[in-house]
Amino acid sequence: MTHAIDTPRRRIAGAALSRPRLGRWCAALVLALIVLTAIAPGLFTSGVPHEADPLAALRAPSGAHPFGTDAIGRDVFTRVVYGARHSLVAAVGATVLAVTAGTLLGLVAGLAGRIADEIIMRLADITLSLPTLLLALLVLTITGPGTLNSIYAIALYTAPGYARLVRVQSMVIRRSGYVEAATALGLTRARIVVRHIVPNAFIPLLVLATIEVGTALVASSSLSFLGLGARPPAPEWGAMLAGGRDYFSVAWWIAVFPGAAITLTVLSITVVGGALQRRLEGLDPSGGGRNR
Amino acid sequence: MTATTRRRLLTRLATSLVVIWGAITVSFCALHLTPGDVEDAIVGTSIVTPQVRAQIVAEYGLDRPLVAQYGSYLGRVLRGDLGHSYQRHEPVVTAIASQLGPSLLLAVTGMGLALILATATALLTAGRSRWVRGLASGAELVGTSVPMFWVGILLLTVFSFQLGWFPAVGGDGLTGLLLPAVSMALPVAALLSQVMREGLERVLHEPFVLTARARGMGDTAVRLRHALRHALLPVVTLAGWLFGLMLGAMVVIEKVFSREGLGGLMLDAVAGKDLPVVMGVVLISAFVYVVVNVALDLLYPLIDPRLQEER
Amino acid sequence: MHVLRRRGTRGSGVAVMLAASLGLTACGGGTAQDRGATPVLGGTLRFAVHAEPSNLDPHASPSDVTGLLTRPVLDSLVAMDGAGRIRPWLAESWKVSADHRTYTFTLRDGVRFSDGTPFDAAAVKANLDHVVDPRTKSALAAGLIPSYRETEVVDARTARVELSRPHSPLLSALSTPYLGMQSPAALKKGPEFLARQIVGSGPFVMESFVPRQGAVYHRNPNYAWPPQGAAHTGAARLERLQIRTIPEDSVRVGALTSGQVDAIGGVPPVNVEQLRAGSGLKVDSRQAPGGTYNYYPNTASGPFTDVRVRQAFGSGIDFATIVEKLYFGVYEPSSSPVAPGTAGYAPDIGDLRRYDPQAAAALLDQAGWTGRDPQGYRTKDGRRLTIRWMFVKSIAREQRDVLAEQVQAAARKLGFEVRFLDVTLSTYAGVAARGDYDLADFSWQRVDADALRDLFHSANVPAADGAGSNAARYSDPQVDAWLDRTLRTEDPAERAELYADVQRKVIQDAAVFPVYSPAYVLAVGERARDIGWEQQAYPSFYGAWVRER
Repeated sequence: MTHAIDTPRRRIAGAALSRPRLGRWCAALVLALIVLTAIAPGLFTSGVPHEADPLAALRAPSGAHPFGTDAIGRDVFTRVVYGARHSLVAAVGATVLAVTAGTLLGLVAGLAGRIADEIIMRLADITLSLPTLLLALLVLTITGPGTLNSIYAIALYTAPGYARLVRVQSMVIRRSGYVEAATALGLTRARIVVRHIVPNAFIPLLVLATIEVGTALVASSSLSFLGLGARPPAPEWGAMLAGGRDYFSVAWWIAVFPGAAITLTVLSITVVGGALQRRLEGLDPSGGGRNR
Repeated sequence: MTATTRRRLLTRLATSLVVIWGAITVSFCALHLTPGDVEDAIVGTSIVTPQVRAQIVAEYGLDRPLVAQYGSYLGRVLRGDLGHSYQRHEPVVTAIASQLGPSLLLAVTGMGLALILATATALLTAGRSRWVRGLASGAELVGTSVPMFWVGILLLTVFSFQLGWFPAVGGDGLTGLLLPAVSMALPVAALLSQVMREGLERVLHEPFVLTARARGMGDTAVRLRHALRHALLPVVTLAGWLFGLMLGAMVVIEKVFSREGLGGLMLDAVAGKDLPVVMGVVLISAFVYVVVNVALDLLYPLIDPRLQEER
Repeated sequence: MHVLRRRGTRGSGVAVMLAASLGLTACGGGTAQDRGATPVLGGTLRFAVHAEPSNLDPHASPSDVTGLLTRPVLDSLVAMDGAGRIRPWLAESWKVSADHRTYTFTLRDGVRFSDGTPFDAAAVKANLDHVVDPRTKSALAAGLIPSYRETEVVDARTARVELSRPHSPLLSALSTPYLGMQSPAALKKGPEFLARQIVGSGPFVMESFVPRQGAVYHRNPNYAWPPQGAAHTGAARLERLQIRTIPEDSVRVGALTSGQVDAIGGVPPVNVEQLRAGSGLKVDSRQAPGGTYNYYPNTASGPFTDVRVRQAFGSGIDFATIVEKLYFGVYEPSSSPVAPGTAGYAPDIGDLRRYDPQAAAALLDQAGWTGRDPQGYRTKDGRRLTIRWMFVKSIAREQRDVLAEQVQAAARKLGFEVRFLDVTLSTYAGVAARGDYDLADFSWQRVDADALRDLFHSANVPAADGAGSNAARYSDPQVDAWLDRTLRTEDPAERAELYADVQRKVIQDAAVFPVYSPAYVLAVGERARDIGWEQQAYPSFYGAWVRER
C-alpha cells in the first residue's frame, strides 16, 4: 500500500519535523498570493503581457520595469504575473485530469472483479515502467507539441499512481464488511461507491494531489522549456525561461525571474502539502505515511 | 532461491514482457493513427517530387497493410533491430549506441556526486540539533523545488560565462563534465539526503547502536560503521525512481549544456517526428528499467538481513 | 514544402557585405583580417556551427548547412565569383547550344579525388545521375536542376549535359556544393555511407563526421585546382580543420570567448555588440543573397484573395522597425523577395511598399471590413477578419517565432486577428497541398533570382502531391510570361530586367510581404586568420590559417 502512494515529493513534503510553524504560514501566504495572482492577475499589474514595445527592449530591472523587459520590450514582471495562470492551469489541470482518471480506473479495478483489475493494473505497470519524461516525449512526438498535449502527457504518467491508491482504498473498504452491510441494507453499488468509498479515499487522494501539483508544475515547465509544452507568446514560466536563455549573457533577468517563480511556487506547494498531510491524515510527520 | 522468490521473479518477468510488448503496440498504433502520413513526417517541410515520395513509401514499406507492418516491426524488435531512423540515415541501434557513452558518463558522474553529497549531508546532520536539521531540510526542500534546467543555466552563466572557471562546452575531460553533473546531482542529492537522514535517525536509536555506544565507540565511528549501512537501504528502493529521473535529467541537461548524448538524440527525434528513434530510446530504457527492478528484487533480500529472516 | 532549414542563413550568389554598423571591412571573395600578414602553414582551426545536417550528402540532404560542412571537401564544375560571374573550376570551359538545352563541358586534366579516383566525364555523369535518382531522395539538389535529362560522356574530358527544356540557371546551380563532385567510388557505397562520409577532390579530406559532435578534416596535400581567381593556389594552409556542432547559442558564444574554439558561425544578433566589444574578437557578416525571409499570403482563398486586404497587411505593419529592433540591425529589413546584391535584384523596389497605417485602414474600409467586434477586430458581414498562419513553431529559428508574435500584435492594431495554425512537421505537407491557410512564411534558397520562378510561377502552386513552392498560390499570366522568358536567355542584363519586372509586380500585388534578409554572422578569435567567404555567404577555409600564440 505504501508503495502505491509514496512519491519522492511526498517524502520531502512530510519530512520536515523541524520545519518551523512560521515557515509553514509563510508558505501558505505565498501560495495564496500565487493562486490569487493566477485568478486575478490584474490586481498585481496594470500591464498587458503581450504588449511589446520594441523601443524598450532588454531594459534592466528598474522602477518602471521591476523585472526588466525582454527581447521585444515586454515587461517581464507583467509576464511573470500573468504566467502564474498559464503555469498553474497546466499543473493543476494535469493533476485534476490524472486524479479523475485514476479514481475511475482505481474504482473499476477495485470493485469490478479480477479481470478488469488485472487489465488496469497491468496497464498501470506499463506506464509506470517507462521513465516519466521519456513517456511524455513519446506522447508529444505522436500528438505534436502544445499546452493541452503536454497536460495529457503528464496526466498519463501520473494517473496510475492515483489509480493504485484508490484501488487499495476501495479494496480495504470492500473487505471491511462495510459494503456487505450496506448491500444487505439494500444500497446499490453506485451508492456505496459515492457514499463510502469515495469519502474514505478522498482525503489521502487530496493530500497526494496537492503535493503532486508541484511535481506536475516542474514537469510541465520542463516540457515548455524543451519547446514541447506551452509555446510563446504564452507567458508560461518554462517557455519564458527557454526564450530568455538566448539572451542570458546580456539580460539575465528574462530567465532568472520565471525560474524563481517556478521554484517559489513548487516550494510553497510542497510545504503547504506537507502541512495538510499532517493535519488531515494525522500522520507522524517524519514517517512519510508509513506508520498508518 | 526460495520458491516464493522464484515465483515472484517469474511473475515480474512475465509482466515485464507484457509491458514491453504493450509499449511497442501502443506506439505503433499511435504512429499510424495520428493525423498526417508517415511519409509526410519523413519529408517534413522539404519539397520533393512525387517520384521521391513514392520511393520513400516503397523503401519503408508504407504501402503494405498495417497488420503486416506491425508484424514485421514486432519481428524485427525481437531480433534486436529497432528499425531505421526517418531523419538520421542510420539504424536506430547505431544512433543510440553512438550517443550512449557521453550520456552514461554524465549519468554516472551525476549519480556519484549526488550519492557523495547526500551521504555527507546525512551523516553530518542526522540526529543533530534542531537548528542544523532545520537548515538541512530547508536546503533539501529548495533543492527538490528548483527546476533542473534553471540550475544548469545559472551555473553555466556564473561559472562558465562570467567567471570562466569551466569550459562552456563539455567533452573536454573532467572540467567540462562537472557543471552538468552538478546540475543533475543537486535535486537528486536533496532527496537522497533526506531519505538517508531519516534512515540514520531511526538506526541511531536502535539497541545495537546504543550497545556500541555503551561499549565506548565514538560518535563518528558509530555513524560510519553501523548506521550508514542501514541508512543506505532505503536508497536502494528508490533506484527505479532515480533511473527515471536520470533519463529525464539527461534530456534537459544535455540541451542546456549543448552536450551530445541520448537526450539530444531524443529531442531531435521528437522535433523531427522521428518515431523509430523515440520508440527505440523508450523501449531500451523500459528494458533497462525492467532489468534494474528484477535485479533489485533479487538483491534486496541479500542486503537486508531482516527480509532474510522473514523468509 | 519549403525550407525551414536548420542553418542560420541561406542564399547564394554574390557575397555582399552587410551593415557597416558591424564596424568591419570585407571585400568580395577575399578576407577581412590580417591583410598583408604572412600566412603560416600547419596547425588546427577549431570552428563551431549551430546546426548540422542529419544527412551529410549534399545531393540528398534538405539542409543547406550541408554546404558548409561539405564545401571544404567538394569542388564544383564551375564557380561563381564575388560579382556573380561564372568562373571555370573543374570545368575549364563550356559551350551552350543555340536551343539552350545542351551544355558541353571541357574538364580540367589531372584532377583526382582524395581516394585516388580520377575526375573525368564519367564522374560528372555519375554525380548528376545520382542527384536526380529517386533512390537518392534528393530534397534540395534535384530541385536545382529540374529539367536535367542526361549526361553523355563524349570522351574522358568532355561531358555533355542535356536538358529537357531550357534552364538558364544551370551554371549557377552547378557552382553550389549541392551539386558538388563526389568520388564515383564513394557514390557507389550507397546512401548510408554518404550520410556520414563525403569523398571529393577539394582542399580538405574529411576524416570523420560524428552526429552531434561535428566533422574533422585534414589537408589534401595534392590539391592544385582551386577555382579561377582564387586568392592562392595549391594546398590549403591548415593542417587540420575541426567543425564542431554546438546548437545552443549561449554555449557557442561562451566557447569562443573562453577560447575553446577559434571562430564561430551563426552568431546570434543579440551577442554581436557584446562580441565586438570583447578583446581580440572580430565580427564579420555576409548577407545571404538569393531568397529573403518572407511572408506569403494565400491569394487563392480566404480574406487575402482581395488585393486591398493584402496591401493593407503589407503597409499597415511596420515590418522594418520590428526587424531592426529584434535583430539589432544585424539582419536588414527587406523590400523584395530576393536579397539586395542578387543578380536581378530591383534596386528601386524599396519605394513600392511604405509603412502607412492610415492608408491601410482606408484600404480595409474599402474592402468592406468596416465592422468591429467586441475584441476590436474588424468584421465584414458578421465574420471576423482572421488570418490563419501556417507556422511550424517547433523548427522556427532566428527568433522567427518572436518576430511572428510581434507581427501578430501589430496586425491586431490594424484589426486583423492572426491565429497560428497548429501545424507540425508531419502535417505541414498536407496543409500546404490543400491550401488550407491564409499566411505562410519561409526563406527560399536558390542560387540566383530564379528563386522568383519557384515562388511566383503558377506552375509551382502546391498540388495534391505536395510539390510546389508558390505558397502565395499566385497566378498571373504576365508574371508567368516574364519568368518563362528568363529561362531562354543567357543575357544577364535581359534576365535582370525580367526579374525586376517580376519583383515590382508581386510587390504591387502584395503577393509577398518581404521581411528580412538573413545574414551569416561570423565571430573570429585572435588565433584564426583569413577565414574567407563562400559565394553562399558561408565561411571558407581554403585560405584560412592559424597564428600560434
